Amino acid sequence: MARMTPPERMGAVMMGEKPDRVPVVPFILGYSAQITGVSIGDIYADGDKCFDAMFNSMRLHGYEQTPMYGYASLGPWEFGGEVMFPYGKGHSAPSVTKHPVMSIEDIENLEVPTFEKELPGGFKESDKVAKRCVAMGMPATIQTGSTFTASSVVAETSLFLKWIFKEPKAVHLLLEKVSDMFVNALEYFAETYGPEHCMPFDGGPVEANTILSPKQFKEFAYPYMEKLHKKIKELGMPAVLMHPCADQNLNIPYYVELRKKLNWEGRYFWLFGPETPIQDQIDNFGDHDIICGNVDPPSIQYKSYEDVVRLCKENIEAGKDSPNGFVLAPGCEFPPLAPPIKVMAMMDAAEKYGRYD
Amino acid sequence: MDKETLFKKLADAVIDGDEDETARLAQEALDTGIDPYDAIMQGCNKGMAEVSDRYEAKEMFVPEILLSADAMYAAIDILRPHLKVDDTVAKPATIIIGVAQGDIHDIGKNLVKMMLDVAGFNIIDVGRDVPVETFVEKAVEHNAKLVAISALMTTSMMNMEPVIEGLKEQHSGAKTIVGGAPISQDFADNIGAAGYGKDAVAAVRIAKKLTEA
Repeated sequence: MARMTPPERMGAVMMGEKPDRVPVVPFILGYSAQITGVSIGDIYADGDKCFDAMFNSMRLHGYEQTPMYGYASLGPWEFGGEVMFPYGKGHSAPSVTKHPVMSIEDIENLEVPTFEKELPGGFKESDKVAKRCVAMGMPATIQTGSTFTASSVVAETSLFLKWIFKEPKAVHLLLEKVSDMFVNALEYFAETYGPEHCMPFDGGPVEANTILSPKQFKEFAYPYMEKLHKKIKELGMPAVLMHPCADQNLNIPYYVELRKKLNWEGRYFWLFGPETPIQDQIDNFGDHDIICGNVDPPSIQYKSYEDVVRLCKENIEAGKDSPNGFVLAPGCEFPPLAPPIKVMAMMDAAEKYGRYD
Repeated sequence: MDKETLFKKLADAVIDGDEDETARLAQEALDTGIDPYDAIMQGCNKGMAEVSDRYEAKEMFVPEILLSADAMYAAIDILRPHLKVDDTVAKPATIIIGVAQGDIHDIGKNLVKMMLDVAGFNIIDVGRDVPVETFVEKAVEHNAKLVAISALMTTSMMNMEPVIEGLKEQHSGAKTIVGGAPISQDFADNIGAAGYGKDAVAAVRIAKKLTEA
């Protein structure tokens, strides 16, 4: 088989065809700043710098991931709170300095951000990345969740988690408002760039079963995930990058239910944490969707090149023949401070062990 | 109510996260002359130990634990001022606890702190996004036996090893335990930490082992 270019490789996977080799989507965000000489803070504070860093990192390494903007604590800034950009030592993502919700009354008074005039908070920067991506034929990746994780930082997190028991109606009201913001975002990006060019990105760590029970997931996370994914289906977007972050093994039945209930023709890219065996992902989603790898990010950070190649090899061998395609990826963001040789390890493993011809 | 019944009810109220009930029972313990130390150990502590077991068994999750912690502290805040000071008993070991530099995620750290507190350690909480030097300075200042560091990011976890190195130079009597989402036993061994707590329950177990050694 002739060698494909990165867009051809991803295009083949999207079409359900075999590419020349397993694509590599290293889930790079902060790393792109480190490797291109920009501060990590800048790529979150300025969408143009984000695009430049990610585009250049993509060109430098030759992987298949296109530029995207997003971070785990998206939500507070958009609802009128404050975030701190990661300019300090060891900082890797924006963090909340002022939660817009500190009381039940705050939830009642909270106004859902609109996208009619100036875009709210991080979506303004995300829009800059989307615009340049679409102009170059790449998808506009839009963060649209998770509603539960975003709500858990719009409100002060400990309060929010305690309100699940003490104030469940208020929690649902907050979840409703946060999901409405994401609906507004989906509509804006679909209208601006065309739904066929949009790839929503949904996922978050606060639903992890080290924090939340599957019963709580069912009651407080699932309904808003379903609401947003129905919207994605209605709008006609072709694919979703879905990242159930960390250990969400007990939540898998609900993700399966979402898939079945919506009976969506589009494709999910499932990017689970390292805690979820690849075979379990194939068993649950392989008949319709693309399975991503889940190489352990801390291991990428501190283990040797040889070890990372070995971990990638194990991932590839487990997922390569998934019926609807496989993409090599880490189980969460690529460690921002990892040396470049670790990206090379992923690329080398894909070349050596991920070829289909 | 006899004291055994009161202890049982106090433990159950901690498990149920009922802070009104724990406060009421704590006051009742004082009013009926029950030793506040016994009420903490036989009531609050037993309740929290059950909460830990249920978390390990995936029967309780963080929202419930946060409510249990509030309920426990509602009782302890009433009981603690009445504890008798006994100079013949050895002082509890001091643990410095904080979140590594670059990280502001402190729910996990706060849970570990609460469990260590209940287990009887003297806890100095240095907060979150803590510079390496602060961990070392506080360990020296308080003659700490243990330094507990949490991290949730692959960037901040890289600031754990410098703390261990700093302690070796300036306060070699202190051992270090590490924990948090990206941390593993392998990583802990790799950076020379004395212990790894995969969760709050394990952290307490390791802390006891290391401070008794």
